[in-house]
Amino acid sequence: MKPVFFFSVMIVLLVTSGINKAQEGIKTQNPDENKLQLSGELLTDERFLLENKNDWVWNETRLTLKLDKKINGNSKFYSEVWLRNIGLPDITTSADLYNKGIVDPYNLEIREAYIQIIGFPANKIDLKIGRQYIAWGTADKLNPTDNLNPYDMEDILDFGRHRGSDAINLNYYFNNYFSMQGVFIPFFQPANLPLGIFSGALNPEPELPQGMVLKTFSDTILMPRYSIGKSSVSGLKFKGFVGGIDFSVSYVWGIDGLPFITRNTFFPADTLGGTNICSQLTFARTHIIGADLATSLAGIGFWAEAAAFIPEKDIIMINDLSAFYPMSPVPVTQDTLILDKTKPYLKFIVGGDYFFADGSYFNLQYLHGFIHERGNKNLNDYFFLRYEKKFFNEKLKVAPISGAFIVADWNEIKDNYALVYMPEIAYKATVNAEITLSAVFFDGKGDNLFSNLKDYNMFIFRLKYNF
Amino acid sequence: MKIKTKSVVFTVLIFTGSLLSAHAQDANTILKKMDDVLYAPEDMTGTNTIILIDKNGKQETREATVKQKGTDKRIMRFTSPASQAGIAVLALPEDVMYLYLPAYGKERRISASVKNQNFAGTDFSYDDMEPIPYSDKYTPKLIKTEENVFVLELTPKGQSDYSKIVVNVNKTHYYPELMEYYDRGNTKIKVAKYTFKKVGDYWNATEIEMTNLKKDHKTKMQMTNVKYDTGLTDDDFTVRKLKQ
Repeated sequence: MKPVFFFSVMIVLLVTSGINKAQEGIKTQNPDENKLQLSGELLTDERFLLENKNDWVWNETRLTLKLDKKINGNSKFYSEVWLRNIGLPDITTSADLYNKGIVDPYNLEIREAYIQIIGFPANKIDLKIGRQYIAWGTADKLNPTDNLNPYDMEDILDFGRHRGSDAINLNYYFNNYFSMQGVFIPFFQPANLPLGIFSGALNPEPELPQGMVLKTFSDTILMPRYSIGKSSVSGLKFKGFVGGIDFSVSYVWGIDGLPFITRNTFFPADTLGGTNICSQLTFARTHIIGADLATSLAGIGFWAEAAAFIPEKDIIMINDLSAFYPMSPVPVTQDTLILDKTKPYLKFIVGGDYFFADGSYFNLQYLHGFIHERGNKNLNDYFFLRYEKKFFNEKLKVAPISGAFIVADWNEIKDNYALVYMPEIAYKATVNAEITLSAVFFDGKGDNLFSNLKDYNMFIFRLKYNF
Repeated sequence: MKIKTKSVVFTVLIFTGSLLSAHAQDANTILKKMDDVLYAPEDMTGTNTIILIDKNGKQETREATVKQKGTDKRIMRFTSPASQAGIAVLALPEDVMYLYLPAYGKERRISASVKNQNFAGTDFSYDDMEPIPYSDKYTPKLIKTEENVFVLELTPKGQSDYSKIVVNVNKTHYYPELMEYYDRGNTKIKVAKYTFKKVGDYWNATEIEMTNLKKDHKTKMQMTNVKYDTGLTDDDFTVRKLKQ
């Protein structure tokens, strides 16, 4: 019997026996509670640039469908599907007009689809199997310890969004204050990169030796072998509550969702220094040790979270220049150490929030190391701030102060910083429909994620309807 | 003569002192009895229908299931409208509160300052909703006695958004009929009208109508499907339950 087949059969047996067991003794269930519940959301998200002839830069109509069915009192099925029109038609030839996927780009995404059984296989254990999002961390949206699911970076303004992963997720509750969670994800999935105008934000221009000019660039990615040892990801987390403080410590045997360039092969393209580069990218197996806490001190919400990333092997980038030295008897290469396995890098976040009696809310966070940054020398500092106030019994929400200040180099701050300002107004037109108007302004200097977006100030319109 | 005068003054002082003490005693007893009525059950489950009514009479309805044990453990889960369905709040002793938002897939510890705000867009503050006995939070004074009610003035013992609450307590059954809330400037800002009905052995507030006098906005909270003493345990008020 092949291991994958054996594994699947075991899961099916486990789940069905669990549901059967959970059904025992539950005979007086309200039949209405077991009906399939359909709910969801319709979201329209349109953005245009405030400069550059007001080009449209984002077009998304997202229908989220949520199916929720209680199988019995202790188990349920849940799924969440996105059906979307996303992006702007990229038509270049008449042949494209025959392709509905190009004329009217759409996609379907199963965000989650799982079965949850409470109290199985023992009373103190909850089991969840299937595609799911396992959210870790106590901070607001930006969580250095949240490394099990792949990042969904499609929309860079939606910080911290993840995709679902096929996983087995077990929670063991020692008592009402302490628990242990074990997660196994058999197949590694890489992060997906930003779309549209954001697509270049995470990929800075490659630095070339003096005298070389980049002509073409191509790459190949080496995915980990799909085997239990090579492609699986697992995690363990101990969670507790002591003296008014929620805390956890965690470990993830993970794979970094963003690939590293491990080899650049340079080829001469012409006699004027023109160079073609062919890169090879690989994903790095990484040990991640995390810890977090959350509490409330004198009415102020306070949280902190940190994760140490330890690559299993040194990550080395080899620049192969052999093609420029055809007479050399040995390959001409230059090695650069990207990550040293003996020098873990630490990402962390601390933050707090406060609710005022007049309906306003204040949130401040300091983050060291954004989602895509790796290696101690490459971690920037981010200060996020948001002040919002609700009016008319929460019908109108105004966030006049919302944004971030980023420092890439404290020694030369005036040339290495970024500012993001995102004021927002949201109005509940009906109990289930909300219209949001916002704008995003980027400014800054130097090579960092947000200063690279300074030509893309934009206006955003969103309509959300829940059903 | 001097001795006589002294003894008269002394007697008057003792008499008025004991009168005041009797009054204070009465007020404390009345408030304690009101608490006993409000918080008599060991536990409670029910459906909470929240109706928001604006000054033009336009209504919005929200529904939530509520479970409560004693005076310090409560879990509330919204079932409608769709925009709020699934959102749940777990309140535990010593201001430990968790919010579960289905979109985030995890619980979030919320700061105790959330109690400064109104609960879910209603005219009730988190403080108003807190199931802590009034006698623990307020010092009572009997202002007057009317035909059917005792009128108590409650002054907060600790920090509060209110300078006082004036409450009408039913003389026969000791449940509150009316509460008037005063802000720190001593202006009446809110009025709550209670409707009580006996369910089994206990008096149940089937409806509380809170009027915000400043905003001319009303919230009606109606409790239905109420069940008392069903044997809820501490295990029903955990983060594990919140996420289910």
